[in-house]
Amino acid sequence: MTANARKGVRVEADALTRRFGDNIALDGVSLTITPGEAFGLLGANGAGKTTFIRCLTGVLLPSGGDIRVDGFSALSAPAEVRARVGFVAETSRLYPELRVSSFLRFAAGARGLSGPARKQAVARAIERFSLGDVAKRLVGHLSKGFQQRVSLAQAFVADPPLVIVDEPTSGLDPLQQEEVQTLLRSLRGERTLLLCTHDLGEARALSDRVAVLACGRLIAVGASHEVLGGADPLALFRAGAGA
Amino acid sequence: MTAFRALVRKELATLFASPLAYLALTLVMLVTALIFFDHLRIYNQILFLYSSNTMGGFESDTIPDHINVRDSVFFPVLETLGITLIALIPVLTMRVFAEERARGTDELLLTTHLSPSQIVAAKFLVTYGFVLLMMAGSFVYPAMATVEGGIGLEHLLAVFMGLSLHALGLASLGLVCSAFSSSQLMAAVASWAAGFVLWDFAWAGAFVGERTGRVLDLLSMHQRYGSFSEGLVSLEHIAYFAGLGLLCAALARFSFDLRRVAG
Repeated sequence: MTANARKGVRVEADALTRRFGDNIALDGVSLTITPGEAFGLLGANGAGKTTFIRCLTGVLLPSGGDIRVDGFSALSAPAEVRARVGFVAETSRLYPELRVSSFLRFAAGARGLSGPARKQAVARAIERFSLGDVAKRLVGHLSKGFQQRVSLAQAFVADPPLVIVDEPTSGLDPLQQEEVQTLLRSLRGERTLLLCTHDLGEARALSDRVAVLACGRLIAVGASHEVLGGADPLALFRAGAGA
Repeated sequence: MTAFRALVRKELATLFASPLAYLALTLVMLVTALIFFDHLRIYNQILFLYSSNTMGGFESDTIPDHINVRDSVFFPVLETLGITLIALIPVLTMRVFAEERARGTDELLLTTHLSPSQIVAAKFLVTYGFVLLMMAGSFVYPAMATVEGGIGLEHLLAVFMGLSLHALGLASLGLVCSAFSSSQLMAAVASWAAGFVLWDFAWAGAFVGERTGRVLDLLSMHQRYGSFSEGLVSLEHIAYFAGLGLLCAALARFSFDLRRVAG
């Protein structure tokens, strides 16, 4: 871990709104994620979690409001935001025709690392995510669990102060889920971690605080044990669905 | 520039990791060879006829001037090759952007230090490089005409420039179609259509006014390509292909903005 990542960065969404035609995917969402925090973004499918992340990474332009990373707006300074973000997508969005080491070299290079710094970053990522045995194998030939490890490794390779993880265990078997969750648990506290999931257990285990989205609106935010510690945490999802 | 170089290297690795690159190179060389030898066979048959005893023998002056390697082999090969490229190039370009979209890896690229302009530039650069490699390979047979066909080196270079610019123009069309689609098939069909329409507008002149016909004629690739085949290098024609490339790159770049707004 470098000084770059140690403290993490602040993320601030201010009345963030995103429409797709008549459909409102995000409706005035305001929240703050403090530096170094592991923050869970919860919600049922279609609640607006992925749209929130896509606005945060600058892939989508908000229809209203703003979202800032370390004070830089994703609207007006997307390059500054991109420089601070590592992103693990919902499904393993990788290049199956590349070898693991080549893919990580590309990921490091695309994040501005070159020469010995890139070599060290790749070696560190391979070691940290236990990819040594598969480093020379094609990404497409790996199991889903290993592909998710590669996906995590590419997001962490340049040691960004903010890592966004979208549905990290989706489509994995229970053993692979446990592996990925253990990896994510080990990464807590080093940097700001935004975990987007609909798995309540995962959110409780990995997040300091959580926010719950329903139909694009923020319906709850607080410490994970408070928001998800009730007798029936699913009530939040049901309430959201009825909203 | 580090991120740009990394993407160029990745694009090259992706291109040469797939059988498509080797298939395209082989196919272009094979098709060129077939076209060349077919025209050579016809040329030889004509020569044989003219040199037969009934026509006065090979020594007689019965062989017309237009029966020569240049007019009977070289030019027809280039003409057929120009049309063949319209069908071949989209197979190469269809995956460049569309595959990234279908896989969702475009979002991965957009969360790195790469700007959309750098992504477009890297993909155009690698595709252009590969197309030039294809053209160099396919030019072996037409180049043989310099030995016996009375084509000078300058003429040959002009022809190679024309063939390359034509192929690069088609690649630009293919890339922009790929940038606006997440389906490789749709991208290929759209670029085939665009290539064939832009190849020759002369037929449309009969249905539109004279003025519109002239404009359509100006947009046609065929007459510009033909001009290079005759050994004429015109700045106007070079500017046409450069403009087409720039326009397509700008449109491909716009597809990123459009997606950012429309989702």
